[in-house]
Amino acid sequence: MPSGALLFQSILLGLLLGGLYALLASGLTLYFGIMRVVMIAHSAFLILAAYLAWYLHERAGIDPLLSMLVTVPLFFGAGVGLQRLLLTRLRPATLTMMSVLLTFAIALLIEGLLGYAFTGTQRRINLGYGSASLELFGARIAVVKLIAFGLAAVALTTLYLLMKRTRFGWALRATIQHRDAARLLGIDTERVAGYGFGIGLATAAIGGTALSLDTTIYPSLHWHWIGPLMAIIVVGGLGSVPGAAIAAMVLGMAQSLLQIPMGTTWAQTVFYVALFATLAFRPQGFFGGRLAQRF
Amino acid sequence: MIVTLGACGSSDGGDTQDGDPIVIGVSLPLTGDFSEPGKGVQQGYEAWQKIINEKGGLLGRQVELKILDDQSNADRVVADYEQLIGKDEVDLVFGPFSTRLVVPSARVAEEYDMLFVEPAGAAKEVFEQGFKNLFYAAPAVANDHYNHLAEKILAMPADQRPKTAAYAAMDDPFAQGTAYGLKEKLEAGGVKTVVNEVYPPNTTDFSGIAAKIADSKADVLVGGSQYQDGVNLIVALQQLGYQPELAAFSTAPTNPEFASAIGNKTAGVLSPTGYSQDAPYESNKEFVEKYTAQFGKAPEEDQANGYTTGQVVAAAVTAVGCAEQGECQQKLVDWVRANTVDTVVGPLSWDETGKPKGAHMIQQWIDGDIKIVLPEDVKEAEFLYPKPAW
Repeated sequence: MPSGALLFQSILLGLLLGGLYALLASGLTLYFGIMRVVMIAHSAFLILAAYLAWYLHERAGIDPLLSMLVTVPLFFGAGVGLQRLLLTRLRPATLTMMSVLLTFAIALLIEGLLGYAFTGTQRRINLGYGSASLELFGARIAVVKLIAFGLAAVALTTLYLLMKRTRFGWALRATIQHRDAARLLGIDTERVAGYGFGIGLATAAIGGTALSLDTTIYPSLHWHWIGPLMAIIVVGGLGSVPGAAIAAMVLGMAQSLLQIPMGTTWAQTVFYVALFATLAFRPQGFFGGRLAQRF
Repeated sequence: MIVTLGACGSSDGGDTQDGDPIVIGVSLPLTGDFSEPGKGVQQGYEAWQKIINEKGGLLGRQVELKILDDQSNADRVVADYEQLIGKDEVDLVFGPFSTRLVVPSARVAEEYDMLFVEPAGAAKEVFEQGFKNLFYAAPAVANDHYNHLAEKILAMPADQRPKTAAYAAMDDPFAQGTAYGLKEKLEAGGVKTVVNEVYPPNTTDFSGIAAKIADSKADVLVGGSQYQDGVNLIVALQQLGYQPELAAFSTAPTNPEFASAIGNKTAGVLSPTGYSQDAPYESNKEFVEKYTAQFGKAPEEDQANGYTTGQVVAAAVTAVGCAEQGECQQKLVDWVRANTVDTVVGPLSWDETGKPKGAHMIQQWIDGDIKIVLPEDVKEAEFLYPKPAW
């Protein structure tokens, strides 16, 4: 029987982990919601953002949090460009399948370029507060994990408000729900979809920065992330950002608590068990409602 | 120049081998999965060739390396050694890199009755195949890496000796082998295991493992790690405020990037190592100097293992007085089995299966630098216990 202290510590770690997962998965579910694109390269962009944060810190001494001033607009632009130049060229009938191939290629390209530019050596940002922590009722909360959680909270709240309260958000949701009807109402769905894709990639810039605070990075790291992130967005309901966030919190917590009796290897399988259960019993997802109908 | 011309002249004259170079065949993973360590071993071999040739070669003949690239592929490596031994009729062979390539290529060498000294077979599988010609040119296999540390811990007075230990190892034969070698010995000596975690190589989050270890408050922390997992686990443990009396990790702490990766909080961290540029073995000084002059940076473990392989074969050839295929090879094998060879990683000798009889040196981070602390006869600094807080 685990001690109360270990349980409490694990619950806190699970919460923090779930927050990070939610941030990393939010962009992924957005792409699918907007245009049925399965974006395999999302985690590669996360690692790219982490590398940029590392590089700016290494070369110019810029704090990773400040590096987002560069990477967020950069990634937004890249997302718009990617959607307008490449993804719109795919035929709508086979879009989902072909997008897997196209974005798979992009992931390989990013991995190759990272390896070429920075070699395969593992890197880590050396922050003064990297191992600092706060105490809470006997448990410890690492400062970097808390910052990552804060970034997730701010980014997801902003995203939510953007979608719910702005004209652009309405247009984007209309595009998600019924593209033709949205077009009849005078929405430039092509442009809106491009911006939506850009926002998804901007979340990758924030997520990658959060990741870089507390992880050792290397070019092929993204393959370790894409599986759990895909599982999260399926469990959460494809296209639903709140669904992905709830699924991420639930799975992060489950992973953290299962770790105690079962060990790391089995605790990690919770993602795949949840994925399997979702596909078998509730293909529309457990938290998101009908496919992409709700935000 | 004159010497070279003279040598060529005599070889033109007839069958005499005296002027011909001794050709050594090697297959190495110069591309593919193992290309980084593969190239390291190649540099070790080339450094050995240059140094020995400058000294007049082996048996008065120059040494020539014939290196093929097996692309880290086990089928290729077999074909390569078939070609080197059967078709090219090289005089001697050196082994490739990694257990996965050493085992199949050792079979070929065995078939042709060739002496097979290899620089990279740390997994115990290598020595369970019944090879008669194989010798691993390094101080110890994975399970024996921590032997000096185990002895040191168990020799402490009962009131100082640690009582509990936590182990975390990557699910990988090498990494697990190192941690479990120490675990067996400490358990036998009465140090209780309180955490025993195995994690897959793709683990990205170490906070859960760290929470378990921190909660156990184990006196001793042992990580069977490669680089990134070792670093991530140490940082996660530091974040939880865990302070062990002794912390030992394989691989990670000897990496040049280690200190900056964990924010320079390295105090007292231990690591087993098969090679140190500072080790006071006689040939090591020459190796480090000449290698650095040749390649522009100091040698690491892979290079040292390649160099050591050359030293072992050279010692056998010099003692026996021959280097060609056929009966000579058995004499070389018998000589290596019966003797101890002084190398850049210390004196080496082998058991019946070709397994080295030694143990790794133990290094410890002291005042921002990693120094040899065990065994006693080569130490550069005193073993620090309990370790300072990190």
